[in-house]
Amino acid sequence: MSSDLQTSSDARPAGAADTPAAAAPGPKGRRPPVSEDSRLAIEIRSLVERGEMEEARERFGGLVAVHQRRASRIAYQYLRDAAEADEAVQDAFVKVFAHIASYREAWPFEVWFTRILINGCLDRRKARARRDRWFVSSIDATPADEARASAAIAAPGANPEARLLARERRSRLAAAIERLSGRQRDVFMLCHYGDCTPREVSAITGLNESTVRVHLFRAARKLRGFLGGTP
Amino acid sequence: MIVRAPHLRDDRLFDYYLAERAGDIVDPPAAEHLGDCAACGARYSELMRTMDAVRAEADAETDEIFPPERLRAQQQQIARRLEHVGRAPRVISFPGRLVSRHMTGSAARGVTQWVYAAAAAGLVIGVGLGSFYNAEWRSTHRGRQVAGPEIILAPSTAVATRGTGPAVEASDEAFLSDLEVALERPHTSELQPFDALTPHVRESR
Repeated sequence: MSSDLQTSSDARPAGAADTPAAAAPGPKGRRPPVSEDSRLAIEIRSLVERGEMEEARERFGGLVAVHQRRASRIAYQYLRDAAEADEAVQDAFVKVFAHIASYREAWPFEVWFTRILINGCLDRRKARARRDRWFVSSIDATPADEARASAAIAAPGANPEARLLARERRSRLAAAIERLSGRQRDVFMLCHYGDCTPREVSAITGLNESTVRVHLFRAARKLRGFLGGTP
Repeated sequence: MIVRAPHLRDDRLFDYYLAERAGDIVDPPAAEHLGDCAACGARYSELMRTMDAVRAEADAETDEIFPPERLRAQQQQIARRLEHVGRAPRVISFPGRLVSRHMTGSAARGVTQWVYAAAAAGLVIGVGLGSFYNAEWRSTHRGRQVAGPEIILAPSTAVATRGTGPAVEASDEAFLSDLEVALERPHTSELQPFDALTPHVRESR
């Protein structure tokens, strides 16, 4: 796995927010309108600065609710382990709240948060790779995930055959994504699982927007090849 | 003569897909070509289908693994963790008794020295007492060895000095014998009848 995001931000939210010029989205001289979640993040920052922590926490719950599902999807696709993805999402939200004072309007909140989340996921992947070098591999689904998948297959009313096929398709897809190069995988995941535009991916990764497009295109072409489509 | 535009390259087709998905302004010549060219239209449809399937798979998988109740639990867990953010850490004072037990290096060294000194003193006292009692015992033993013949000789000496003869010796012997009998008898009154019925060694002599 590449460490693109690691080198650019070193998993530090404060550092990430200190370089808005490199990643400021939108054409030069024109700032895009502030999104709803970014406005909420600014409000929370003001509350924290005023020391109104209770109110800040309450408002932050709104941000969690908005980004939680998307964050879980990204984290799970990165880590392929539900429990670890859960922890990564929690850590990212806690980190964001703890460093909300360093949030700058130049970054859409979504981009800032996603960057923190992905850096956390990459750290976890790195730690896991280190563990696997010395201990038993944990790339396969955990027993809890297996049990959950089996329960879902055995659930009354569900079509077991369809579920089994879906599971097979997903594992093939996950294996295909795993075969992509680190940078291509990052870009593809952010774009397709993180709902990010190439411009946002460029802001998150620090790559040029046209480079992001090239990586995306190559990743899609490779994936189609791996999955049996037209390369 | 109408010159037909060349087919769209894959990367341009992909850009078109991304722009359309993001709701950005699409490339007008590409849009026009896609409307006219059936082959490129089919390629675009196939690309769209693949990418949408990948996305739909991920969505379905996430929904299955993170159902609403799990997301709710996650939200609560985050809220719990946020409670501790921005608060000064609570310092738990260490119990005084344990602190006194918890010694520094120099204190531990002092205690060790005391233990060594006590052990050495114990050894010295033990050796001293041992040699004292040994000397005492030896002197006593030697005294007995020396006094032994005197004791053995005593009756004859006594007899000789007193000059009472065999009658005194017999009465002494009878007195000692009675004394022995009295001591051998049970002191409990309930057991005395049994004792009277039981033959004694002295009677069988």
